[in-house]
Amino acid sequence: MSVSPTDSSARSFIYHELVALDATFEDIGGCAVAMTCGGTVAAETEQAASLGLCDLSALPRSGYKGWNSVPWVVKGGAKVEDAPNRAYAQEDGTLFARLAVGEVLILGPLNGKPGLIASLAKGWSMSAGEGAYPVPRQHTNCWYGVSGEHAAGMFAKICGVDLRPKRIENHAIVQTSIAKLNGIIVRDDLGRVPSYHLLSDSASAAYLWTCLLDAAEEFGGRPVGLSALRSLAGGKKR
Amino acid sequence: MATQSRRLPEPAGLLIDRSTPVSFSFEGSCYSGFAGDTIASALVANGVTTLSRSFKLHRPRGVLSMCGHDANSLVQIGPRPNALADKVLITDGMAARGQNYFGSLKSDKAALLGLLGRFMPAGFYYKAFHTPKILWPFWEKVIRRVAGLGEVDLSHHHEYYDKEYLFADVCVVGGGPAGMAAALKAAESGAEVVLVDDMDALGGSLNYARFDVKGEVAAKARAKFVAEVEAQPNIRVMTRTMCNGWFFDNWLPLVGDRRLHKLRAKALVVATGTIDQHVVFHNNDLPGVMMASAAQRLIRLYGVRPGTRAVVVTTNGDGYGAALDLLDAGVDVACVVDLRAEPATDERYEAVLQKAHIPIFSNSAVREAIPLPGNKGVRAVDVARVVGDGQLAAQSDRFECDLVAMAGGYNPFAALVYQAGGQLSYDEDAAMFGIAGLPEHLFAAGSVDGAFHLDAVNESGRIAGWAAAKDVGFEAGRKPAGRAKKGTAEQNIAWPMFPHPKAKEFIDFDEDLQIKDIVNTIAEGFDHIELQKRFSTVGMGPSQGRHSLLPSVRINARENGRNVDETGVTTQRSPISQITISHLAGRIFDPVRVTPMHHRHLDLGARMMTAGVWMRPEYYGTPGNRADSILREVNSVRENVGVIDVSTLGSLVIQGPDAAEFLERVYTFAYKKQPLGRARYVLMTDQSGVITDDGVACRLHDDHFYVTATTSGADAVYRTMLWFNAQWRLKVNVINATASYAAVNIGGPNARKVMEKIDSDINLSSEAFPYMGVREGRLGDIPATIMRIGFVGELGYEIHVPSAQGEALWDALFEAGAEFGIMPFGIEAQRLLRLEKGHIIISQDTDGLTTPHEADMAWALSRKKPFFVGERSIDIQTARGLGRKLIGFELVDPQATVPLEAHLTLRGNEIVGRLTSVGRSPTLDKVIGLGYVAPDQAEVGTEFDIKVAHGEIVKGRVAKLPFYDPDGERQEL
Repeated sequence: MSVSPTDSSARSFIYHELVALDATFEDIGGCAVAMTCGGTVAAETEQAASLGLCDLSALPRSGYKGWNSVPWVVKGGAKVEDAPNRAYAQEDGTLFARLAVGEVLILGPLNGKPGLIASLAKGWSMSAGEGAYPVPRQHTNCWYGVSGEHAAGMFAKICGVDLRPKRIENHAIVQTSIAKLNGIIVRDDLGRVPSYHLLSDSASAAYLWTCLLDAAEEFGGRPVGLSALRSLAGGKKR
Repeated sequence: MATQSRRLPEPAGLLIDRSTPVSFSFEGSCYSGFAGDTIASALVANGVTTLSRSFKLHRPRGVLSMCGHDANSLVQIGPRPNALADKVLITDGMAARGQNYFGSLKSDKAALLGLLGRFMPAGFYYKAFHTPKILWPFWEKVIRRVAGLGEVDLSHHHEYYDKEYLFADVCVVGGGPAGMAAALKAAESGAEVVLVDDMDALGGSLNYARFDVKGEVAAKARAKFVAEVEAQPNIRVMTRTMCNGWFFDNWLPLVGDRRLHKLRAKALVVATGTIDQHVVFHNNDLPGVMMASAAQRLIRLYGVRPGTRAVVVTTNGDGYGAALDLLDAGVDVACVVDLRAEPATDERYEAVLQKAHIPIFSNSAVREAIPLPGNKGVRAVDVARVVGDGQLAAQSDRFECDLVAMAGGYNPFAALVYQAGGQLSYDEDAAMFGIAGLPEHLFAAGSVDGAFHLDAVNESGRIAGWAAAKDVGFEAGRKPAGRAKKGTAEQNIAWPMFPHPKAKEFIDFDEDLQIKDIVNTIAEGFDHIELQKRFSTVGMGPSQGRHSLLPSVRINARENGRNVDETGVTTQRSPISQITISHLAGRIFDPVRVTPMHHRHLDLGARMMTAGVWMRPEYYGTPGNRADSILREVNSVRENVGVIDVSTLGSLVIQGPDAAEFLERVYTFAYKKQPLGRARYVLMTDQSGVITDDGVACRLHDDHFYVTATTSGADAVYRTMLWFNAQWRLKVNVINATASYAAVNIGGPNARKVMEKIDSDINLSSEAFPYMGVREGRLGDIPATIMRIGFVGELGYEIHVPSAQGEALWDALFEAGAEFGIMPFGIEAQRLLRLEKGHIIISQDTDGLTTPHEADMAWALSRKKPFFVGERSIDIQTARGLGRKLIGFELVDPQATVPLEAHLTLRGNEIVGRLTSVGRSPTLDKVIGLGYVAPDQAEVGTEFDIKVAHGEIVKGRVAKLPFYDPDGERQEL
């Protein structure tokens, strides 16, 4: 049964826009997540393979920054290698995106389970985590999933970096300007479908959503719910 | 409707679709054409040869280049001015009209100006109209009426234009044979290639020129090239797209129909060809006088017969190709006038020579074109022998014609090369500019680089493509051969200009400039090529010197006794071709930030305002009752309880063993001994001692501070912190958490009562939570950091929660406050409330020079620490003495005119400062404010002058701050 975004205190930054799309919501970790955006799961899955825009802002994410941040998360069970601007997929589906030598962004899996995110948070304290300080990514950033064969074409209308799959490897990270906002893009394919995580300023979430919708229109892009992305991901833990 | 009397039968008309007729109107008359026709080609097909009127002399003008190189074809299409009639395709129902006339295009009342031409030499407007001065208002109105081309429809709604980034290894600009050869060669090696051409189809000169007697070579070469390009998956073709400039690092704006593509190519091949040049003779601007290539374009691309009887004027073999095309199209060729003393023979020349009824006059030129009445066309030309540079024999022969096709030579279309930093130099033998040097990552091919024979063109394209691919890192194999003869020296002659006693031998069609205009400009002293341009306006019109550059430079060189290479060319800037404001403006990205409570504000009837990139409630109400709404909000806070959304305030998280040390350095106050659970004011100064920001630091842990900043200063404060710590290397981590937190300030005597209604683990009593205290806990299920601070001067709590829960917090406060009649308040009410307390707003009550002593904030400077940013500068300024002081004031006469912010403060006749904040305090029922006065005026009780509107002086009196609740009792409840 669909829940209402206002049933819980934590709400997506664009829940008003999603309600207007007749989205259906499910409570994941105390926040309503749009599972469909007015269509069936099958139709939205097909849409997502072409060009789908999905609000993932309610899913768990976090980050750590500081001179000891990466060793600390590795100590906490994450597998992260040296190269920055690369994302490292974990067994539980969490993605550790190494933004810099001393900063990591952590994106939770599509199943909404906090996994490593929660265990790292639980194990952190000012004394235990010296040099590795939490970054409140859950609230600083909005998080959109952009998927489909036309995703790179859509991005070309708002971003000056070439995001075509032949130019950017899976799990590469691009930190750049998107529609005049600072943004982080992580390529993370869903099965065979090119797919990208897009994170930007949460206060600009509604503005960015309208930019994405506008850019996507030319390619027939539309909002999709989390169910569609899970469907594309198939058995893969993302 | 006219009947396309000049339409040629198939197969002529490469670009038109005869199965799709199109109806349109021009100047109110209906015409028909075909899909693929341009406005110009369709009009000429219908026998209409006048497209517009010239800018200064209002002379009728018609087709000149037939490829968008000239301004003769500028027309108005509905609301769109200055459209190129020889490029814009006709559509059903299109309504176009000419430009720059009074009355009608056929009967322009301003055509009289043509008779006054001798009184309007180049630059005449610098000397006329402004004396006597009294007449200027009259002339100004006249000039405004006659100036400009086209009309802007201010009521026209914005249409959707956007932008797109493109990515490529190699960009080839120019889709003629050289460009296609370059693109193919580069793509073969694996490079990703974008091939750009501004015309409707690939082919360039292969689409219209005649290189051989039978006229087959071009079509065959084109078909082969185009098929290969279309089959090459590495090439993306963009036709009807103009590369409008070169910017650093091969950043190229490619202007499409409604999209501006932004391409940064790793390597660029310029294959933009040449610009056909005209011959300069009396009346060389009449409708019917056009480039020979224009006549060929009309025939081959659009299936239109350009005239009935033609005279071909030429300096090279291409004129003979045009003559053969004209004959094939059923146009009589009266004669060929060859300016060369000894025409180089090629098969085309021989073929024309064999047509005995067509005389060829070598070493000859056209003295003048004889006009039809009203200069509406040509009826004949006079041809004479050339007896010297610019000199013709007295005797001439007259030939009746309605078409003069000029093949006057070429000038490389090298604007991109020039903008990229390439060098051009003039070859006296070839009488042509050429590329003398190219910057890195840029290559040239085809006639832009002096290759005119088709074999040489193809070779140069392959070489350029090979070189570009190699430059980018692709394995391109051996360098292609380049042995074919280029033919550079066979195209131009040095002096194709023939002055006439009646002048009207146009150098620059856009500006109606004639030979004498350039000569006189130089005689007036504007002899440098750049001065010549600006005084005479040569090259400054819409065609940007495409046809006027070469003749004007030649004249300049001769008049100054220099050679052309020494004279040089004027700077060629982007845009190369016209671009609409819509292309530049759309789609603009204009970020907007809203708080998590944004929708609640709208629901409550907030009037939103911009605060930087944020949207914030100014007040809650309608514009008609703004003052009442603000008053109501202020009273609500003073008497009851109000809530304001302060989520836009900066939030910085400072963590690490050196956190306190870091704060001590970046702020003026002291923080090492700040207790846990306490808030302390922060004041930031820059290295020159100027106040830049303020806020509050909450100590949550020995090594953890939560610091607020102003809305507009947050990002700068964050950058400043990072910048300084990059040097200091303290063990501290700084996070800009501004968007992470939603924040509200609930203030008023009932604030605590409202808060206590919400389930919480925080003891909100005054004893447990005193003023300037900080507590972490929860409100309902929302984790919160709460401070007791008093910006508005009442009992209040500033509550910071995770932004995703901000709306829920707002809802909880309003639910809890419903029984008290809780009200939201906006920025305007807050400004008044804080003014009553005498609190400053950074960047309103401070400026780019305000120091702490000027702002009476010396109390915020700690002298017990070794250093803070700006300390030394503050000491120096203090030692020098203050120039002004920020004070609070009230009006001496309560009934006096209320001054406004920025009104000046005076000491006698001397301006000593300005007011920074002014408002009528509802609490105190009087006008109060803050402002700067001289230090000797700063004592409480001193009266000073304020200069308000219209020079009126009102009296202010320095008042003790704060105006309201001086002992702070209400905020410390």
